[in-house]
Amino acid sequence: MTDSFRLLGRTRRHFFRDCGVGLGSIALSSLLAQDKPAPTADPLAPKTPHHRPKAKSIIYLFMAGGPSQLEFFDHKPKLNALNGQPIPASFIEGKRFAFMGSSHRINLLGHDKQFKQHGQSGAWVSDMLPHTAAIADDLCFVKTCKTDLFNHAPAKLFMNTGSGLFGRPSMGAWMTYGLGSECADLPGFVVLQSGPRGPRGGASLWSSGMLPSTYQGVPLRAQGEPILNLTNPQGVAAADQRKVIDAVRELNAGRLAKTGDDEISARLNAYEMAYRMQTSAPAVMDLKGESKATLDLYGIKDPTEASFARNCLLARRLVERGVRFIQLYDTNWDHHGGVTENLQKHLPMKAKDIDQACAALVRDLKSRGLLDDTIVVWGGEFGRTPMGEVREFTGRNHHIDAFTMWFAGGGFRPGMTWGETDEFGFGAVKDPVHVRDIHATLLHQMGLNHERLSVKSQGLDVRLTGVNPAKVLKPLLA
Amino acid sequence: MVRPALLLFAFVWSVSADAKVSFNREIRPILSEQCFSCHGFDAKHRKADLRLDTREGALADNDGVRAIIPGDPAKSELWKRLLSTDPEEVMPPPEAHKPKLTAKQRDTLRRWIEEGALYEPHWAFTAPQRPALKEKGPAAIDVLIDQGLKEAGLKASAEASPEKLLRRLSLDLTGLPPTPAELDAFLKARAKDPQAAYVAAVDRLLASPAYGERWGRWWLDQARYADSNGYSIDAPRSIWKYRDWVVNSLNADLPFDRFTVEQLAGDLLPDAGESQRVATGFHRNTPLNQEGGIDVEQFRVDSVFDRVGTTGTVWLGLTVGCAQCHDHKFDPITQKEFYRMFAFFNNQEEPTMKVSDPARDEAKLAAAARDAEKALGAWLDQRAAALEQWESGLTKATTAKLSGPVKAALRKPAAKRNVTERALLFAASPGAADKTFKALQKKAKDAADLRDAAPTTLVLKELAKPRKTHLLTAGDFTRPAEEVSPGVLATLHAFKPDAGTVDRLDLARWVVAKENPLTARVIANRVWQAYFGRGLVETENDFGSQGTPPSHPELLDWLAVEFLERGWSLKSLHRTIVLTQTYRRDSANRADLVEKDPDNRLLARQTRLRLDAELVRDSALVASGLLTTKVGGPPVFPPIPDGVMSLGQVKRVWNTSQGPDRTRRGLYTFTYRVTPPPAFAVFDAPDGLSTCTRRNRSNTPLQALTLLNDPAFFAAAQAMAKVIEKEGLAAAFRRCTSRAPEAAELAVLGKLDRLSAARALLNLDETITRD
Repeated sequence: MTDSFRLLGRTRRHFFRDCGVGLGSIALSSLLAQDKPAPTADPLAPKTPHHRPKAKSIIYLFMAGGPSQLEFFDHKPKLNALNGQPIPASFIEGKRFAFMGSSHRINLLGHDKQFKQHGQSGAWVSDMLPHTAAIADDLCFVKTCKTDLFNHAPAKLFMNTGSGLFGRPSMGAWMTYGLGSECADLPGFVVLQSGPRGPRGGASLWSSGMLPSTYQGVPLRAQGEPILNLTNPQGVAAADQRKVIDAVRELNAGRLAKTGDDEISARLNAYEMAYRMQTSAPAVMDLKGESKATLDLYGIKDPTEASFARNCLLARRLVERGVRFIQLYDTNWDHHGGVTENLQKHLPMKAKDIDQACAALVRDLKSRGLLDDTIVVWGGEFGRTPMGEVREFTGRNHHIDAFTMWFAGGGFRPGMTWGETDEFGFGAVKDPVHVRDIHATLLHQMGLNHERLSVKSQGLDVRLTGVNPAKVLKPLLA
Repeated sequence: MVRPALLLFAFVWSVSADAKVSFNREIRPILSEQCFSCHGFDAKHRKADLRLDTREGALADNDGVRAIIPGDPAKSELWKRLLSTDPEEVMPPPEAHKPKLTAKQRDTLRRWIEEGALYEPHWAFTAPQRPALKEKGPAAIDVLIDQGLKEAGLKASAEASPEKLLRRLSLDLTGLPPTPAELDAFLKARAKDPQAAYVAAVDRLLASPAYGERWGRWWLDQARYADSNGYSIDAPRSIWKYRDWVVNSLNADLPFDRFTVEQLAGDLLPDAGESQRVATGFHRNTPLNQEGGIDVEQFRVDSVFDRVGTTGTVWLGLTVGCAQCHDHKFDPITQKEFYRMFAFFNNQEEPTMKVSDPARDEAKLAAAARDAEKALGAWLDQRAAALEQWESGLTKATTAKLSGPVKAALRKPAAKRNVTERALLFAASPGAADKTFKALQKKAKDAADLRDAAPTTLVLKELAKPRKTHLLTAGDFTRPAEEVSPGVLATLHAFKPDAGTVDRLDLARWVVAKENPLTARVIANRVWQAYFGRGLVETENDFGSQGTPPSHPELLDWLAVEFLERGWSLKSLHRTIVLTQTYRRDSANRADLVEKDPDNRLLARQTRLRLDAELVRDSALVASGLLTTKVGGPPVFPPIPDGVMSLGQVKRVWNTSQGPDRTRRGLYTFTYRVTPPPAFAVFDAPDGLSTCTRRNRSNTPLQALTLLNDPAFFAAAQAMAKVIEKEGLAAAFRRCTSRAPEAAELAVLGKLDRLSAARALLNLDETITRD
């Protein structure tokens, strides 16, 4: 049997587990006394990792659009000194950029943001991010992240799936495929969104690719019902819903006894989990039980209003419930210098949107003892050029050679800065880190070997890190 | 990966213990998995200058070392390395993370070397041979299946019940469950002559327009069809005429070779008409990146990569795309050959074509637009002086405030302005409020819009001046290397282009040439897969050396030759398969099969299959009596949950259809690639971003939530409640499952109110399953 088919076979057993509510597998097997199918594994049951994991969950704060590392973390006084002068040709020879035929320019762009070193580690952080600066000693900054693609949708796919092409499984899907889920009444991979629009690439960013759809990310919606079709249709009382599910269970169980098809047992369990989700998902979204101190920590004024801050708090609540991978997308980080997305006016606004909540999340996880086995990741699909663009206002173009991300918890070294960029922040001069290395490292912390976590498709062993070399970033790990 | 299937299949291949080892079914999979990635076809990445994919390479003297010495495993380096426990010596090296060979595999390899280490050409690259059988048609298939059962000591299950048989047939051939009337008629006919009744049902269903809709979707998966451009902007596109072409062609049973040629190169056919051009939409179904700041050439090249890869996957069942960056590691496909295939698809314009619509009278529409424009012009003629006066009074400051188009019109000399421009100016002048003017202007615009509203579709068109094609180093479009000319895979049958330019038409004819060992096998296998849930070749998109060998090689060949000899008729292929006893068997599992053939590879029974996403919807609509059966036309917008369309970068409008269009078949629902209809995505509908030759069949809580709570399914339940009221619970049950309920089942439902019972019925596993 090939792996790909084994996988399809496995999809039958989605969510098939001893659910403890309603009909458990013991009852099922007695139904099947005369015709019992071979015992099969549940694809979402917790699985044995490749090695001892350092972390159980990941919260990935995705700044969609590409935040400017030069205004936030990568302090380059030379940019101000040489503002308006062309970057030396040696930097850009043979390089391609977005908007080459229109607004792309080669003149360096200075800025008026103030930088200071913070904490014992002395990390450089811009004054735009006071809360992040205050937790600098909890963070592991990587200044030399590098990606392959410079357009939004392909780069976002690359950051999430290791490929710029559609159809590959995303990181969250790989994690739940490799590790299963520790949560019996919520999905193992959850997506939360904030900002004025969805991220470019949409559902492909949390796709399960060639893996079964069990592993794909489930968006928890900010408004209306948290999961699509979670609420009973209008006019259907909770008691009626239960009665319908009970009747379905009884009839399906009868059919199972007749056909011996374990697909039906999977469905019996799916209905029970669906029923539990109808209660557990709204419960996780309901912030009434959170103290004022907690809401203040995150800067949440109205706990029912959708915001990045609310999503950060939700992420903590999801981690508490055992959700494996939680990804937050915050959009409008594409500061080219247009009327609606420029560095003077909009970058400070975006910074204010996220700064307090990011720091609060790390602090909150830490104070609850959750940070040790939860990794928090902050970053976009790429960074921004040291050169300015020619548009209505000030802005920078997409940049893939060096940009900053930070990591916290889950075995990453706190208070560390890794990698060094050149005088303009254009490229790495020391310790470049490719997206593949980040993928390998995140998998490693979760107990998975990026070379072994693979799935057969079209004659190939598909992996998150692809076929090019990737390394676990050992120096970053405690 | 270790392939336990090989062991299981020993008996299907009629291998007894003393038979010689077969290279193709026993050795090639081991070598391919363990060795070929470093010692295979790809010369550039070959290690130690050793290749094991040819006998010549395996036997070659490599500085005194020979990988294989026929007859002498102990002296063969390959054997020694495989057994070695020294991490420096052992092959494959530990860092390759290859699974360990089983004792049985080692034994097979040793015996193969002892027996002389003979190689065979890869099974899929040699022409299919029809096995010598006295049985013809469906009976031949049954003989070949029963042979495998006999060797395994298994008995076939009995035929399924008549109700389940008709349900199976109806769902498989048309994607719709049978109506109560159809069930009654079938049962009545069966009482007279069961076989004749069954054959009549098959022929009735094959003749139904719904056949083209059901199998059209099967093809559209492979064509990666959707109604938007994908990537970040995901703007809507109009290519539904291609979808209709597929449905209509299948209904007309257009021979598959012609079906192929029209899609790959219909525009180049000497008799190319509109229909043939519409067919070329197949390769216009690639996503299109409209993001700002992109290098257009990069994404054009990406779409050509996709066209080459998709052609390879869909027709040849080969992973041609693997050779985009380097020579294929497992199959004999060079990187250069990839770019020679690429050259066929590198030469096109990608126009939007206006398509005729029998419902439209083009001449009348054009005349109406002309007349309306004339009337407006005549009225403006009478106001020419007023307009001139206004224009001459314009200052620099007042002009600056006018809109761009008005300024542009002003820059033109008055005599050269057309009616639209004159109207534009008048609308900017003080007289603009005139009611007659407004009415005339609106009439002219509406008539012109109507004239221009002819449906359009995306097609391929050959460039007048051919584009040069280069091999692209590492698949990078910025690194062109040597120039290449169009060509095909040398390892397959001969390429015989027509005189003149070598173009897509030559490629298309090569793909469906009778000598092609792959296409007929690949398509027959994919049709088989739809009926039994698994192809005879399990890796339906990889017939290369990394794919699995066929479970029933003789049957696969029989089907391929039959398909060819019956003039590539898909309907005939379907008919032959569904008339077999194998197809008609009951699907229930059996204790002995759980033990001996848990994956049902030998087909002692049928398989229960959860319906495809669109058919889950269609079935609920049929059962509740809501389905609108109109075939074809522009995509429709049935109700979807709020908020779904805001998941992508651009919030798309979903103007929910009114009236009968709300309950059309799922095939017609408008599909945005980035924000697909959630009720389909949750049941594993493909996203149209790349070709899909087999859908997953997952089973998740989100599916339960969809069937329980989605507005469309709830609407079906409400209609079903009315059915219960009118026809009774038992009749409603039968509409969903095609059988009468047992007393106990009726009792369970009888405890519920009508709406709850209706909802329960639509949620039954049986309702969304083809038994």
